[in-house]
Amino acid sequence: MDEMETRLARCFSSVFPELTTEQIRSATMDSVPAWDSLAAVTLVAVLQEEFGLQINLMDLPELVSFDAVQNYVRKHKAVS
Amino acid sequence: MNLVEALEIFKQALPEGAQPLRTFLACGFTPLHLQTFLAAHLRKRLPKQRVEVKTGLFGDLAGNLERLQPSECDILAVVIEWQDFDPRLGIRSLGGWQTTDLPDIVKSASLVAARLEQALRRTSAFVPACVSLPTLPLPPLFTTPARQAGDYELQLRQLVASFAASISRDASIRILNTQRLDELSPAPARLDVQSDLMAGFPYKLPHASAIAELLAALVENPTPRKGLITDLDNTLWSGILGEVGTEGISWHLDQHSHMHGLYQQFLGSLASAGVLIAVASKNDAALVAQAFEREDLILSEESVYPFEVHWSRKSESVQRILKAWNIGAEAVVFIDDSAMEVAEVKAAFPEMECIVFPTNDYQGVWDLLKRMRDLFGKSVTSEEDSIRLKSIRGAGVLRESLDATGGSLDDFLQSADASIRFTFGKQAADNRAFELINKTNQFNLNGKRLTDAAWKTYLNDPATFVMAASYEDKFGPLGKIAVLLGRIQGKSVRIDSWVMSCRAFSRRIEYQSLKQLFEKFDAEEIGFDYQATPRNGPLQEFFAELLGSPLTAGMRLSRAAFSEKSPSLFHRVEEAVNG
Repeated sequence: MDEMETRLARCFSSVFPELTTEQIRSATMDSVPAWDSLAAVTLVAVLQEEFGLQINLMDLPELVSFDAVQNYVRKHKAVS
Repeated sequence: MNLVEALEIFKQALPEGAQPLRTFLACGFTPLHLQTFLAAHLRKRLPKQRVEVKTGLFGDLAGNLERLQPSECDILAVVIEWQDFDPRLGIRSLGGWQTTDLPDIVKSASLVAARLEQALRRTSAFVPACVSLPTLPLPPLFTTPARQAGDYELQLRQLVASFAASISRDASIRILNTQRLDELSPAPARLDVQSDLMAGFPYKLPHASAIAELLAALVENPTPRKGLITDLDNTLWSGILGEVGTEGISWHLDQHSHMHGLYQQFLGSLASAGVLIAVASKNDAALVAQAFEREDLILSEESVYPFEVHWSRKSESVQRILKAWNIGAEAVVFIDDSAMEVAEVKAAFPEMECIVFPTNDYQGVWDLLKRMRDLFGKSVTSEEDSIRLKSIRGAGVLRESLDATGGSLDDFLQSADASIRFTFGKQAADNRAFELINKTNQFNLNGKRLTDAAWKTYLNDPATFVMAASYEDKFGPLGKIAVLLGRIQGKSVRIDSWVMSCRAFSRRIEYQSLKQLFEKFDAEEIGFDYQATPRNGPLQEFFAELLGSPLTAGMRLSRAAFSEKSPSLFHRVEEAVNG
């Protein structure tokens, strides 16, 4: 795990405290029952705080798994 | 606190047997992160409680309040925004911002304010409420430029101010101070337009955290400090009295020592609100007495008791002052311009708040006054606050008289011309009774504290009674100094709580209280929900003498045993039923 992945895992752990580190890395909206719309908005808020990003809520449908979130953050972090 | 920190707080384990604190968060928008922050700040402030935060329906603030039932929560947090007064004052509504709409917006806001006030007054009868008034900017619907406040905008602000002033008079409603919120959360960094439109949550995260932090502080409502001990030279006034004399010390603008005048003025304000003020100064006592004769001194000599002026250690002075006040060090703040003196007192009384007076630091003194407002401020002041100093002086006279007469308490009490008024009534607005239960340590049956909600539940229970005692003698009134909570079970009375202010010791009020209970309820026996605490020694001594046996939980006292052990009582007794 690189530093960004570790920070991302910490964000996921805050929002989904019941998940283990392994479960976090493979987490998807379908596999995590607690990942509802409320959790999705909370996750976005946490990511914004952690990475200093401005995430457009229109992008929420893209953020459906740990990998997808990681890709999104890497892409937008590089741009910002 | 950021959102990750807030979420992390919930991972911490609760202590065993943590009592629930059921909080209802009423707001008109999606509570989302505000709910998280509120729960986290409450958990941080009240780590021994299991905090639960429930919310109501989106977009229906008044309805949420109107539907709330007494059994649903222990505390109510209400967060009002402009759109709750009229949706057109938010940005999610497209109801019209035409100039012709403005009078109607003000009118409908006025109707909603009346509805909210009625709903809050209803709920405050069974649950305390902490209320945040609109914090977001009004939308640009007014005709004046943003730099100019227009008529309708000002009418709306006036409406909210009147609404807040009106509900603030209800002792069960606490209003979040927007001045403090302004310090924590700058106005331009509050509204999150995207979040409001996309998720129905209008706050930027730091603003949500700031509101939650202050609401949690209002919910906790910590017990204020009771006494302040101040130094004199370069603290209460500028200058060293022993060097410059009584005319050389100063506290005025023209001598560039005005901050000392402000400090005096603030102490005077505290004294008028019932805070005890004492002086501990290494000084010449005669000179200090002269200084206090100066007519331009802002803090009057009558507001100060006692004066400890000599050359002994400050910690010794503090010890004597605490004895005269009969309160614990944790309830007192010590202020001195000497860091060494502050350290010496702090070492002797680690639980005391000890502060170095920031002489010659204008901003420092200003910050100190603000800090003291937080330490000493209380939600409600009572009649007892205004007579506290007088009664403590009276207690001092009593002690001195006893010492002088060789300790004949019977003779002294017989000549004290004392009267006790017992009041039987259950008034939720009786803040003094509630305050006594929650801050009395020494004469306290079991040390149990009550939350606002538990207090109201107790009062609403038809099986319970509340007896309060007010005392007065020739040395002056002590006000309401004892409270007894209990219930009748046939010929028995069971006491759930019994507290008496330490100012009322040595007057046999505790005996008269029990006598009153036996007579009032024609009881054969009184049972006590007793529990030893680290600080209820005086109560333990009283019962040890009365019962003549080891104290136990649920201990009982028969009428016959009481009659046998009770000493002579000289009080005139009055009884009143109230509420």
